[in-house]
Amino acid sequence: MKNNKNILIDEISKELPFTVPENYFNQFALQLEDQIGFKRSLYRNLVRPWMYMAAMFIGILIMGQVFYTVNRNNNTRNAENYEAYVLSQVDETSLVDLYVDEPSK
Amino acid sequence: MNPTEEELVHQLNQPHRRAGAFSVIVRTYQERLYWHIRKMVLSHEDANDILQNTFMKAWNGLDGFRAESQISTWLYRIATNETLTFLTNKRMRNQGSIDDVDEVLLQNLKADAYFNGSDIQMKLQKAILTLPEKQRLVFNMKYFDDITYEKMEAILGTSVGALKASYHFAVKKIEKYFSEDDEL
Repeated sequence: MKNNKNILIDEISKELPFTVPENYFNQFALQLEDQIGFKRSLYRNLVRPWMYMAAMFIGILIMGQVFYTVNRNNNTRNAENYEAYVLSQVDETSLVDLYVDEPSK
Repeated sequence: MNPTEEELVHQLNQPHRRAGAFSVIVRTYQERLYWHIRKMVLSHEDANDILQNTFMKAWNGLDGFRAESQISTWLYRIATNETLTFLTNKRMRNQGSIDDVDEVLLQNLKADAYFNGSDIQMKLQKAILTLPEKQRLVFNMKYFDDITYEKMEAILGTSVGALKASYHFAVKKIEKYFSEDDEL
């Protein structure tokens, strides 16, 4: 029987008759990255920008806290200085007069 | 959204983005390259080894990639060279043996758990194995993948005219194989 004698290859299915193990291509890429050794640097490249952002944010918070504390201390010190200045400008007799006269008003 | 070819080339030239870009390249081209190799060596295990070597060479040779050709062309070229080198080495190792390499490849295919073709597909694979290696490459690339002759020219470094002639003769040889096989 020569039924295929004049067969044209275009009549044969062009689908490849091969298969691969399940999940082969996903595994292949992961193994290759491991083998090449850039998994760590890939991780670093993805995580590092976020780490920079977090560090910057924490830095801003700390600086804000320091600025606030220093500013508050300065305000307190200024008030104390002002009070001391005022007291230094008034002599003791005037001060006694002020407290003694006060109730009679 | 996947980066464009230009974006990938740009990223490959930036040391801190190189690994990420290469990872995208592996995932984009691994399947195409695998089938390109598998059609030549037939066995899954061999194709897997050659594919790994292909990407290792590509990674190590990134500094030499100047984007004069497309990434896919560059990778196909490496994969083709790796495959031909593998077959040459296999041929050399097999010189003392009674069976030639094509016969060994066929035996491997028959024993391969990852072959699930029909009788006619097995026969087609046998017929393809009768072709010289370069002609097999041309036939596989055109017949199964329908790669343009211009792209094949860039990958294989053979002129379009020679590729067309090679494919034409390959088809004739395979059809002859089928007709002669039926006469037996």
